[in-house]
Amino acid sequence: MSAMPSVEAHAAELAASLHGPEKVRTRLVDEIREGLADTIAAHTREGEPPEGVFERAVREFGTPAELAPSCQRELTVAQTRRTSLTVALAVPVVLAAWSLAWGASAVALAVGIVGVVLALGTLAATGSVARGLPVPGWLPLVAAWSGTIAGVAVVPTTLALALTSAASWPLVLLASVLAVVAHGVVAGSARTCRRCARLTPA
Amino acid sequence: MKADAIRGHLDGLLLAVLEPGPRHGYAIITAVQQRSGGALELRTGTIYPALNRLERLGLLRSTWDSVGERRRRCYELTDAGRRGLADERSAWRAFTTAIGSVLDPQPGSAT
Repeated sequence: MSAMPSVEAHAAELAASLHGPEKVRTRLVDEIREGLADTIAAHTREGEPPEGVFERAVREFGTPAELAPSCQRELTVAQTRRTSLTVALAVPVVLAAWSLAWGASAVALAVGIVGVVLALGTLAATGSVARGLPVPGWLPLVAAWSGTIAGVAVVPTTLALALTSAASWPLVLLASVLAVVAHGVVAGSARTCRRCARLTPA
Repeated sequence: MKADAIRGHLDGLLLAVLEPGPRHGYAIITAVQQRSGGALELRTGTIYPALNRLERLGLLRSTWDSVGERRRRCYELTDAGRRGLADERSAWRAFTTAIGSVLDPQPGSAT
């Protein structure tokens, strides 16, 4: 079909303007590409002249700029959920490693519990539990910055513990490796989440 | 009917056309347009993120369906989706009854 390169260009333009989890983005763009191809096929079946059929189909279906805001809103929620899940998994692992190397700290435990509860709360607020309630506009940005702070704080805290408290070196090594991995995963996810929150229309 | 007026009811429209059985995205678009007699001015591509959202909320589930070289995502209502549709219907009936009785008062009704 002669219109297919235009369909690909439409999908590519939409994909380029969207940020969020790759799997969700690819699935959404793939579906929209198929939907536009179906719309063109339907116009062609109705006997419309081939000239301008792509433009007429896009007028009905939506340009990349018209579709991007609702797609980005969904991707931002998906990324917020991903960042929250990352925090909810990483915090207990880091806390366990710290406790193993340097003993349990009530303050660290309290901060960790608050972090995990907030992350699980975000997952609940964006999932089936909160059906019928809108996702608050500030939630993605709050989740992004909470993730950023948690991701950044883990490295100097581990370093300070390693320099000031005695512990056997294999445990210090284990705690340090886990801290660096947690920092990379959480900070990376939070960075994407900040970007998504910035791109999401109010 | 303008897009702004439809926005708040899109979830109900999508759930309603999926009530008889599973459909893929374009079949959902066609069903909404046919049932409304083409009166809804809707950028049809916006139903895809809406379907994605309804699936995230557990109201729909979806699977890939291959027809020849084409792959389409097929959506169907979950039990929660059926309950959601029933809620949308009763909310809509209450709304239209209330507005209707003000806009079109029955002869003989008070005030």
